[in-house]
Amino acid sequence: MKSGIGRRHFLRQTGAALAAGPLIARAQTPPSERVRVAHIGTGNMGGAHIQAFAALPEVETVALCDVDSVRLAESAKRLVQRKPTAKPETYTDYRRILERKDIDVVTCATPDHWHALVAIHAFEAGKDVYGEKPLSYSLREGQRMEQTLRRTGAVFQLGTQIHAEDNYHRVAEIIRSGALGRIGTVRLWKNGGTRGLGFPPNQKPPDTLDWNLWLGPAPYADYTPVRCHGSFRSFFDYSGGVFADFWCHIADVLFMSLQPEGLSTVEARGEVPGDGIADTPKWIDADFAFKGLNVHWTTRPPQVPGAEKMSIGAHFEGEKGTLTCDYKSRKIRIGKEVLDDLPDVPVTLPRSPGHHRNFLDAVKSRGLPESNLPYARKMTLPMHLALTSFRLKRKIVWDSVKEEAIGDPAANYLLGRTNRAPFV
Amino acid sequence: MSALRFVCFCSCLAVSAACGAADGGFTSLLNGKDLSGWTMLPGKQPAFAVVDGLLETRVPGGSDLFTVARYGNYVLRFEYLLSKVGNSGVLIRCDPKNPWGTGVEVQLLAPWTPYRDDLHCTGSLYGYVAVTNRPDETTGVWHRMEIRCDRNVIEVSVDGRRTTVADTRAVKALDAKLLSGVIGFQSNHSKQGEFAQFRKIEIRDLDADQDYVLAGFSQTDERFRVQAREAAVALGPAMIVPLARVMEGDAVMARSVARQALFDIVAAASAPQAEAAARDAAARALREALGAKPSESTAGYVSWLSGMLRK
Repeated sequence: MKSGIGRRHFLRQTGAALAAGPLIARAQTPPSERVRVAHIGTGNMGGAHIQAFAALPEVETVALCDVDSVRLAESAKRLVQRKPTAKPETYTDYRRILERKDIDVVTCATPDHWHALVAIHAFEAGKDVYGEKPLSYSLREGQRMEQTLRRTGAVFQLGTQIHAEDNYHRVAEIIRSGALGRIGTVRLWKNGGTRGLGFPPNQKPPDTLDWNLWLGPAPYADYTPVRCHGSFRSFFDYSGGVFADFWCHIADVLFMSLQPEGLSTVEARGEVPGDGIADTPKWIDADFAFKGLNVHWTTRPPQVPGAEKMSIGAHFEGEKGTLTCDYKSRKIRIGKEVLDDLPDVPVTLPRSPGHHRNFLDAVKSRGLPESNLPYARKMTLPMHLALTSFRLKRKIVWDSVKEEAIGDPAANYLLGRTNRAPFV
Repeated sequence: MSALRFVCFCSCLAVSAACGAADGGFTSLLNGKDLSGWTMLPGKQPAFAVVDGLLETRVPGGSDLFTVARYGNYVLRFEYLLSKVGNSGVLIRCDPKNPWGTGVEVQLLAPWTPYRDDLHCTGSLYGYVAVTNRPDETTGVWHRMEIRCDRNVIEVSVDGRRTTVADTRAVKALDAKLLSGVIGFQSNHSKQGEFAQFRKIEIRDLDADQDYVLAGFSQTDERFRVQAREAAVALGPAMIVPLARVMEGDAVMARSVARQALFDIVAAASAPQAEAAARDAAARALREALGAKPSESTAGYVSWLSGMLRK
């Protein structure tokens, strides 16, 4: 722990030196300035992290961790193919990685129900964390993450890589400029929902998978393949479906643009699939009342121009015009005019050097990365409330200061979960 | 199993007691005095009235009469009398705003028009499924009809003889209809002066029968599983112990439906506006389910659910 902090202190100094001095060519980064990275979870997103971090010149990938030894071996092989000098140690249990004093940064691409615990344990072990979305499985875990972050001084970036791209920055500039007038309503959507996955029998987990560790803090359940890799988000034990998968990607542009505050009610409607053991929304629509702003989420595109061709999107309704966007595109409609940009709106927001780069810069400067934890938590919170409203089939009245449902103990109960021992 | 039957027996008693007049699980839908529990949509002349204890429709093309309550699976029985060239019908599983589009009409018709073939006569599912056993169509006398909606099977009997058996899944247009809805009686569909009368209108709601509902959890058609789950949730805390028992079984499908139904029952009981008695009954039933010493995963789920009821 001490050496971790010592190392971070060193990095902080280096960061200051980098900021002040001439630009050092990254390829020549001396060994002492290296950032030693370990990756926890090596599936799809974990694999992407491994590659993205390996591409950063000062990164030394020293350890990989997965509860699935097949995935672990494959990811180590791919890393070495890309970077023949890499000699990653491999682990099944992430706690062995956190015990290592020589590791500065961990990335986390586990299933959602592990996100908070890995980050909290990493913060406590003096590591900085690049964590996959959604931020946490439950709202209360997100609070605990932020408390631990503040206590330990760690750096955290949520892996919403679209945040770093130009389009969201430009949308935020246009919205904030007031060119569309006051924005009273925002509509967010993502097509599609959870499918039932049939009724497969339980079976013995493969010898190559540590199922107990995969389950971790989630309630015990017998193994069946659909509960695990690839479709775990279909289960409320581990996630919240397609909605939980995509909420923060598209809510991000709303929060970048308008920083909504004062959430007071959340009401969701929807259905669970009937064709299998999956229990997260087949479809979910939700209404969020922020102070002076109504936000609506739908599973099908809303009735606004162009939306039917976009599988995910955000639609801002201003007094003077509208803006409809997705990850890469935007359309502004003022009267009968349809525009891609408003050239009169100046470029004011600094662009990102890339989401992973931005994180490493913050690790060195000890500053706040672009998708920092307090920001990510505010953005994720409405998602938890919508899922809770969906499950309870009732409106939630929210105290945004105390962060509590008003007059609904069951809602508050569902916003947290007691972890299964010993994963606390 | 005996315990399950006992629970079921108790719940039937409870239902009977609540509804007053009941016979073998049948409950009267007509009080013999007025149209309480029934509704006629505005916009047309009211066509139904209770006269001398009989339900009667005389106004031609007037408003049809619908139950306020919705039913999915049930046995409906009643007696009817048609005037000389009377024409009426019973609408099942329909939305009153579009009864013929969403539901089906079981025909009641005097044998008087050219459209009196087996597909359009009394007892037919009008225009969809013909009678295979033509009933006695004598007018001016009372006949007894029974309509059984049992998931995908609709059966009609007249005077104790089965006239029609339909598998809704075998008829494309029927397969697209609602699986639950209100029950309606068609207003006099003949000319002025003709009429139809009804009496002894009674229903046995199969979705109030625990065993029937639990059997629905294993239906291969997803829609009937969802219907059974909703029926289980409507039965409320009384279903908690039987549902927890289903979760201990080997059937993955039934277990999964039971799991969701348990959640929805406890969620409803946990609502701020829920009655204290319902909340207490749910909490008690969850304790009882735990007392049966279920497997680790069921016990974990049940005790997690009980946390929703803590104040």
